[in-house]
Amino acid sequence: MNPLENFRMAFESLWGNKLRSFLALLGIVIGVFAVTAMISLGQMASAGITQDLEAIAGRSIFVQPNFNEGQTSDTAPIRDEDVAALQVLPVKVLPQLFTNAQYESKPGERRSITLQGTPGDLPGLDPTNKIARGRYFTQAEARGGLAVAVLSDRAAKDLFPNRDPVGQVARLYYPSGGRLELTVVGVLEPPSGLFGGLSSSATVYAPIPLIWSTSPFTRKGQYDFLVLSLDKGADAQQVSKQVRRIFEARYGKGKFSIQSTESFQDTLRSITVILQALLGAIAGLSLLVGGIGIMNIMLVSVTERTREIGLRKALGATAGLVRQQFLIEAVVLTLVGGVLGVALAAGLLVLITATVPFFKVFILSPTTILLSLAVSALIGLFFGVWPAARAAALDPIEALRYE
Amino acid sequence: MAAVVEMQGITKTYRSGSSARTVEVHALRGVDLSIGQGEYVALMGPSGSGKSTLMHIIGLLDSPSGGSYRLGGQPVEGLSEAELARIRNQRVGFVFQAFFLLPRLTALHNVALPLVYRGVPSAERLRRARAALESVGLGDRLDHLPSELSGGQKQRVAIARALVQEPDLLLADEPTGNLDSRSSEEILELFDRLHRQGKTIVMVTHEPDVGARAQRIVRLRDGKIAEGGAA
Ligand SMILES: Nc1ncnc2c1ncn2[C@@H]1O[C@H](COP(=O)(O)OP(=O)(O)OP(=O)(O)O)[C@@H](O)[C@H]1O
Ligand SMILES: [Mg+2]
Repeated sequence: MNPLENFRMAFESLWGNKLRSFLALLGIVIGVFAVTAMISLGQMASAGITQDLEAIAGRSIFVQPNFNEGQTSDTAPIRDEDVAALQVLPVKVLPQLFTNAQYESKPGERRSITLQGTPGDLPGLDPTNKIARGRYFTQAEARGGLAVAVLSDRAAKDLFPNRDPVGQVARLYYPSGGRLELTVVGVLEPPSGLFGGLSSSATVYAPIPLIWSTSPFTRKGQYDFLVLSLDKGADAQQVSKQVRRIFEARYGKGKFSIQSTESFQDTLRSITVILQALLGAIAGLSLLVGGIGIMNIMLVSVTERTREIGLRKALGATAGLVRQQFLIEAVVLTLVGGVLGVALAAGLLVLITATVPFFKVFILSPTTILLSLAVSALIGLFFGVWPAARAAALDPIEALRYE
Repeated sequence: MAAVVEMQGITKTYRSGSSARTVEVHALRGVDLSIGQGEYVALMGPSGSGKSTLMHIIGLLDSPSGGSYRLGGQPVEGLSEAELARIRNQRVGFVFQAFFLLPRLTALHNVALPLVYRGVPSAERLRRARAALESVGLGDRLDHLPSELSGGQKQRVAIARALVQEPDLLLADEPTGNLDSRSSEEILELFDRLHRQGKTIVMVTHEPDVGARAQRIVRLRDGKIAEGGAA
């Protein structure tokens, strides 16, 4: 007998009991739905995390002094010579400098704000910075230490509520008493994505030499922080190692912290993997319950169809064929459940991609679909074995006598 | 005349109950029976005399506890479950009192069922099933479900299902037991016709006038043949 006949018979028998079949496979539908959705959501989440990180930080390496090593924050231990030493690597070096300043929010009331020294044309060097209005100060303006500034989105709102800041003069005060008047030439876009909120702060960007010459806490030729923007095709891990080697050669071990965006991504990815494993376990549990449901309905079916089994045996069905029939029925049942589960998951994922901004891309890989269907078929096979064995073992005479 | 069924000293003992206190029922106590090609035999006897048991053994649905049995010249002792199933499928057609049609299948597909287990391709199956249904006068009921048929029609579908196998032996256990007299007459006429066409038929019955239509009456009493064991 052709096994396809058994498939056809399985469909007929399940279709004959539509409602009951559907209720029986509900557990499988939910289980497979969970498996599929969880795997795909995990993949979509890690894609989202990666994209967001790249949007705010690009492919970069960050160098900063290790404050744990007993240094104080007002020393600027990264020097021009260090920057020069890094020029051999496939990176653009963006030295930065931070200092505290204040602005007058109301007459007589001062609030603090971050004053950050950067090279000119920052958006050109590091495309994660985008200009919303006006322009960034040029490299020439930066080198010359002109009194110009670009404001972060937050800073623009704080300093110039309800006014276009471009062209205005921002007045800043150093806590120790100096005063700084900067002409605002541009405003940056707020950072985007999941990490946007974390990195959005009130910051005034100004040329580095200007800060050196006005802030009492900075010294010419010294920086707080380096962003090394990787050239296209450069290997982040490789370059990180080289950077570390250069700093260790100059200052000894452990004085500087060197991190790449990819190392952040690795951490986020491993969190995602743990999350996926956890969700997979939950899905597995519902599949177990669903499988027991399938076993139950198949046992009921075998009992109900005792006379049918007896008749089939009288007509020449071997025990093997009867076993095959019921196994196939169980597998078809769970496979139908699997298809419904995957379809349901696909629907949910489409919906999530369309509505939740964090999930930008819809991911449902063929591997995931295949895995989910294989899992559902295996559940049918596993939980169908016992009912099918019971059917195959029925004595035809007793089965025909069965009332 | 070649013998289809040759039995010598067939016994069947049922054991029931726990191992400590088993009850033995001797359903058959040494049956010698021979049925020739083309014979029409009625199997009669009081209730519990072992008629159904004997029929199941003849049809290889059950195995005897002792004795020897040849079906169509072939000894059946020691045959595997799969071999017995194959012989049932190819040589034995059953007709039961309770029809045993699958309720979700149409008449046509019910009749085609034995051919599924013979590996006959679908189109050919349905062609043969249609011919069998036409031969029992149900050519206009092919797509009816069993629930849409009368008792007599159901039994004719069951006979068509046996005929489609083109068996050496047609076994019927009280085929008119669930039917009114008019339907019974139709079914019995059908068996008469099959007999005239040369089929070998064994029919279990309680009714003397049904038995009278057969060539030979075999009477069972207490698991033994009281009359008509040899041709
Ligand atoms: N599975 C079984 N276990 C125990 N005893 C059985 C079993 N099957 C049949 N018997 C016994 O074997 C004997 C013969 O039964 P069988 O069904 O062959 O009788 P029968 O002649 O067909 O009766 P009826 O005319 O009522 O159908 C009976 O006494 C019955 O109780
Ligand atoms: Mg009986």
